[in-house]
Amino acid sequence: MSEFDPIAQGDTGRRFRRTLVRVIAVQIVTLALLWLLQTTFTA
Amino acid sequence: MHPLNWVIVVGWLSYVVVYGLWKSRGTKGIDDYILANRSLPWWAVGLSVMATQLSAVTMIGTTGQGATDGLRFVQFYFGLPLAMVILGVTLVPFLHGAGVYTAYEYLERRFDAKTRSLTAFLFLVSRAMSCGTIIAAPAVVFSAIFGWSVTWSVALIGIPAILYTMVGGVQAVTWVDVKQMYLIVIAIVAVAITLLVQIPVSPSDALHIAGATGRLRVFDFSFSLTNTYTFWSGLIGGTFLMLSYFGTDQSQVQRYLAAKSVDEARTSLLISAYWKIPLQALVLLIGVLVFVFYQFEKPPLLYNPAHERAVLAAKPAEYGALESRYAAGLIARDTAARAVARARDAGDATATATTTRAFKTTDDTISAIRNRALDLAQRVTGQPSKDVNYIIPRFVLDHLPIGLAGLFIAAVIAAAMNAISGELNSLSTTTTIDFYRRWVRANGSDSHFLTVSRVATGFWGLFACIVATYAVNLGSLIEVVNRFGSFFYGSILGVFLLAMMPRAGARGAFVGLISGMAAVGLVNFREPNVAFLWHNVIGAVTVVFVGMLISVVAGPPNLAASRSGSAGATS
Repeated sequence: MSEFDPIAQGDTGRRFRRTLVRVIAVQIVTLALLWLLQTTFTA
Repeated sequence: MHPLNWVIVVGWLSYVVVYGLWKSRGTKGIDDYILANRSLPWWAVGLSVMATQLSAVTMIGTTGQGATDGLRFVQFYFGLPLAMVILGVTLVPFLHGAGVYTAYEYLERRFDAKTRSLTAFLFLVSRAMSCGTIIAAPAVVFSAIFGWSVTWSVALIGIPAILYTMVGGVQAVTWVDVKQMYLIVIAIVAVAITLLVQIPVSPSDALHIAGATGRLRVFDFSFSLTNTYTFWSGLIGGTFLMLSYFGTDQSQVQRYLAAKSVDEARTSLLISAYWKIPLQALVLLIGVLVFVFYQFEKPPLLYNPAHERAVLAAKPAEYGALESRYAAGLIARDTAARAVARARDAGDATATATTTRAFKTTDDTISAIRNRALDLAQRVTGQPSKDVNYIIPRFVLDHLPIGLAGLFIAAVIAAAMNAISGELNSLSTTTTIDFYRRWVRANGSDSHFLTVSRVATGFWGLFACIVATYAVNLGSLIEVVNRFGSFFYGSILGVFLLAMMPRAGARGAFVGLISGMAAVGLVNFREPNVAFLWHNVIGAVTVVFVGMLISVVAGPPNLAASRSGSAGATS
């Protein structure tokens, strides 16, 4: 299966990991804001 | 519409067609046409993936859904970031590293030709139909609002996209998508700002009014198989749907196959994960703000002008009586909404609670009158009268300043073009690679396959336009598209999951695929109330379970034989 292995292609995956951390942060902030919106304004 | 708005619409359409054709000048072979020679930067691929999903259905259907139903639809996308991460570490390295043109090509290497052909066929059927509904969504609305024939509306949206996709392939599609994404985001933000300026109460009061009607309720934690949009159906069913859509649907797979490396491919996928939930929430919030706007401005009783004309002609007295009650109800609701804002501004909690209850009562009265008018429209026209897709276009044309209305209409057409161009390109690729080159002519020159791809693009474009012309009575279009996809998506995902399991064999995969679709069909037929997001879970789990069972009973697969047997077809 080596032809399918990303590591074998010399990919460090650094950009992927960095982007992943940002993605998780953006989702957490968005969900928190939506939760805040719901709890603040929904009767 | 004001001539300046038309100048903006026509000017933008002409610009993107010329730009797409100009970008395609380097397309000389099949590798250029299908994968852009794997030369596209991750940010362009990411924006293109986003643009493909942001169809006109999002622009008019989702905003309309926000106005009528609030923000809870955003739960549908809760599984998307999770799916992107899973794909980034599993399927993307597999497919990109395999050096294939299509996702289905990989299935022949792993299993056999019939599994590849069946999944490719299911993709062609479901995508071609959904491509038709994606064109139909704005075409039907434009036809009703501007009084054009549906055929002309379909042609206006379909022909420019077919033209640059046919000539330029993925290169033109991707770079036009990038340009159109800028326009769409600018239009969405501009409409949001305009709404905030035009609503005569503070943003906080506006949100309180929306909240009083439940439109800001995002999270529903009830575990229900019959409720379409809940936290759990979005997270579990949505993850399966997104895994299948982004991992196995050629319209998405082809984008990241065109990236320079595995790292760029999966980073491009994460770009979608970044913005999907915030952008969808913003789009829904625009719908919610339009709802608030119409608390202070008289909204039409029926948003579909064609239905309004038909009912006025057929039942003038009955409609007139409803309009009188509607006008009185609107005055009462306007007064109640302003009372809520005053009580909140005064910081009086008791008065706020009392006025909010009074406002809710007046809003319920308005909803009841609207439902009666919709019933009347259905009786008169014989068509589904749900007018959720007309709310935003009517607001845009009646209340947005000159220029901005044109910008928004251009953005709706741009969104439709983005979605269909990506899909046409992938339909053409699958037709050429998985059927023509696999079954008709394995050896041909590069230019021959390029010509076949272009003809296939034109064919599917024409097919989608014909489907769109006939798909005029579809109700809420966004749900139709998603429901249709959910019938196959889970089962196709199941086959790709099997492909990553070493013990799974070809017979297990094929029988599993058939079983998965049968299970979804059975659920759909016997338990029609099971929400469609769960169909993806049922399909995928059935395929994996049946596929593994048969594979274990049949003995270990001969992977080497199956790979060497298909080498000619994939080289």
